[in-house]
Parts: sequence; C-alpha cells; structure tokens
Amino acid sequence: MNFLHAPARASAVLAIVVGTVVLLSGCAPGGPAVDASGATPAAVAPSASPTPTPTPDAGGPDAIAAVPDVPRADAGLGAATAAPTVPPTRVEVPELGIDVSVAEEGVDADGALALSSDPSIASWYRWGPSPWSAAGATVIASHVDSLDYGIGQFARLASAPVGTTISVTAADGRVAGFTVQQVELLSKTQIDWNGVFDRTGTPRLVLVTCGGEFDYDTGHYLSNVIVTAVPIA
Amino acid sequence: MRKILISGLAAGALIAVSAALPAAAADGDASLSVLHAVPGVTVDVYVDGALTLDDFTPGTLAGPLALPAGTYSVAITASDAADASAPVIGPIDLNLAAGGNYTAVAHLDPAGTPTATLYTNDTATIAAGQGKLTVRHDAAAPAVDVLAGGTPVITNLSNPAESVLTLPAGTVSASVAATGTTDPVIGPADVVVAEGTNTIVYAWGSLADGNLALAVQTIGGLHSNPDGVPAGNAGLVATNQPADSAPVWIGAAVLLMLGSAVAAVAVRRQNAAKAGR
Repeated sequence: MNFLHAPARASAVLAIVVGTVVLLSGCAPGGPAVDASGATPAAVAPSASPTPTPTPDAGGPDAIAAVPDVPRADAGLGAATAAPTVPPTRVEVPELGIDVSVAEEGVDADGALALSSDPSIASWYRWGPSPWSAAGATVIASHVDSLDYGIGQFARLASAPVGTTISVTAADGRVAGFTVQQVELLSKTQIDWNGVFDRTGTPRLVLVTCGGEFDYDTGHYLSNVIVTAVPIA
Repeated sequence: MRKILISGLAAGALIAVSAALPAAAADGDASLSVLHAVPGVTVDVYVDGALTLDDFTPGTLAGPLALPAGTYSVAITASDAADASAPVIGPIDLNLAAGGNYTAVAHLDPAGTPTATLYTNDTATIAAGQGKLTVRHDAAAPAVDVLAGGTPVITNLSNPAESVLTLPAGTVSASVAATGTTDPVIGPADVVVAEGTNTIVYAWGSLADGNLALAVQTIGGLHSNPDGVPAGNAGLVATNQPADSAPVWIGAAVLLMLGSAVAAVAVRRQNAAKAGR
C-alpha cells in the first residue's frame, strides 16, 4: 500500500525544510518572514476518506489514518543531489559609483573571511548562499582601503541611503536586484557573525567593509560597515 | 509528543518531524532516521507496537523523527504482517539520549542474516570549508577498505562498524574494496561531501548475491562561519586621525580625489603611503 504518494512526500519534505528554517533563524534579521504558513503540516497529512464509510477489511493494521506520516526519500547515491550555488561575479551600485568584480572566497588562516588585497575585487563567501539561493544571506565584502591601492569603492557604502539599488550579476549574465534596507556601523567586538553569515531566513544581500575609528597601532579599523539589502520584488 | 506519535495522528507526527532537524536542537528531543538496507524485502516497522513505517522498501531513508529521549522498542516485520508479534528483525531496544541524532539501519550481518544497528550520527560543528564523510559497513561482506581517488582512506572496516573523515568540501571518487586490495566491489562512484554537512554513506547488500550498493544520508547545518571581516588596513577613511602625524588635509585630499572620476591610482598610492605613516 503506497500510502505516501509522491506529492505528499514532496510536501512533507518541504514542511521539514520550513521547520528547519524557522528553527535556525532565531538570530536572523527579518526572521519572522520565514514562517511560511503555506506549508501547514496538516495540509499534507493523508486525509481521511471523503466518505466516512468504514472499510474494515481493506484497512486493518495498515489503515492510512493509523500510520504516522514519516517522510521518506530514496537514499540512492545521487538521488538527492542539491543544485549547485550560483556564484556572483559582479556587484554594482550605480548611485554610488560602485562597480566591483567578485571572487569566491572561504576563510583565511585566522578564520575570518578571506579578502583580496585589491579593493576592486570583492569577496563572496562561497560556502554561504548566493542571490539565487532559496534562503539566507549572501555576504560580499571588500576592503575599504589599502596601503597599496588607496581607498576602495566600498568606502562609499557607509553613506548609502536606504533604498539605494544594488545589482549582483552571475557569470551567466543573470542579475539579482536589491535595495538597501539598513546601513550599520558596528564595533567588531559586538558583531554577531553567525547572524551576518546566516544561511537561513529570507534571502538578502549583506555587503561588508570596514569603517569608523582606526587603530594606528594595529593597523585595523575598529568597526565594520554592514549594509543589508533586500531583493527587489 | 510520544503519545501523539504512537497513537498515529499523522498531522501531529509531521509537526514533530518538521520542528526537529537537521540537528535535533528543539527542547532536547532526539532525532531518529531509519534506513532500510536489507535487499529484496519490503517490510513494516513498528515502534513500541505501533505501525510507524508501512511498506518500507529497500534503499529508502525515513525520517527524521523527533522523539523525546527514552527507550523505544522497534520491530521489523514482513509487510503483510498483522502486527508486531512475528518480527523478522528485533524487537530491539533503541536508547535515544536527549539531543542525540541517530540512524537505525536494518541491514544484513556479515553472514547475510537480517539485523539492525543503531548508529549515533556525528553532529559536531565543522570548520568552514570542510565536510564530514561517514562510512558505515552494513553489507554481507568481509572487512573492506574505502578508497578515495584510488587511495585507501579507511582500512579494515568491518560490518557494522563506521569511520568518520573530515575533508575539504568537494566531490570524492569513492570505491570500496576487500581490505588490503584496491579492486572495487563497489564504485568508483562520485560522493559529494558538502560543506558543513555530515555525509553518511552506507555500503549495503550482499557480496555473494552481487547486489552491493551505496546509500547516502546527509545531515546539514553543521557549518561554522567566518568570525570576522578584516576589510581595511590603511586608515584612509578613519573617523579618527592620528594627532601627531598625517595632517587632516591628507584625508580631505583623498576624499576630494574620490569625487573625481579621474583620480589617478598613482596619486592615491602616494597619499596612501603618506597616510599610512
């Protein structure tokens, strides 16, 4: 008896995903938006027969209503291959004159986001979401300045007005548009990096650079400028 | 919640499941997945006497279920059984600790007899850029080596043992050979080791029957994140300026040049050098 037909299975999986997102997005800005009520678990439960007529001989211990709706998946190798993340290759903020290329980066030896020394090459955190992912924060960062290259284009982010348009392009030419929702200058010691790099919650773009006061002894800024932008509907 | 599950209210069970994973972080519940790795037989799975998985087919992964910590009795029967009284495997007791992540696997022992093993899944946080590859021997076969790109990375793995590797995220060309040999009995096959994910590969089936295969379970969300973005080292846009050097006008000059589309890189470098000292 194949009580869990394919659409129900897909919905059940969706329900798990939604549940997971809700669970993990506690520190995400805009978290409440992921409460996707459209995936109400009850909606995908095997429904009782439309007619209440009992069918004792057909059901028995295998009766649909008696069995929990446990999601199942083919465990075969490659059966659940996830679509690869589409890397961004360019970020433009026309109103601020920003136009930088984007490289894929992981972490450096210190566990921080690896950055190109050239401020005109921004770094996308390759293990996190991209603008074409279903959820989470796309993080792209670039140096605000450099002893070799001078002031970087991302220096202009600190004064970006809310509503500024940002476009992110992929290698295949697809473009994702965002608008600036907030610009923050936060002390590096107070930043919730797990929140910045959050892979769950509503899709968003987070541009990061440095700013604020400079420690002339260590050669580092004391704060980060963090720009959060939301997709253009 | 346990009562809901066992009484078989489908909607309630699904709510429990959807609130649980990937790592059962919710209020101490354990997370249980079930893998059917006995070739050729469709079964029913009973938990504490209640039918929980109906017509469960080989190569299928069910769950995860969020369950309160405790001991659960699991019996696996033929798919036409009327109840759990005549199991083909079990009943076995599963002791699930609060917050634990488990997979119960119905599989063959080395001699080809159906059995079941409860594995505890590694859900520890993984360094950025890395993934875990867990290999479990659940096949009716002697001890094996696991080769990645033809090189043994796990040796002498016996049913039902497991081995866990931490690897850079990527795709591994994996094969399984009798221990001490390199002639594959399974594979080579591409196994994706996703970043921040524990990818669990099960070798199952029977060598004698020629139906060895791989099954895969993934547990995601184990990633860690960069702990900073050190995105500046010159102080050119600092809101503070050193009192004894680098006159304020240097910063102003730099800002002025920024406004000009023709600001020459060479000049900026010159200013940068001055401001840097």
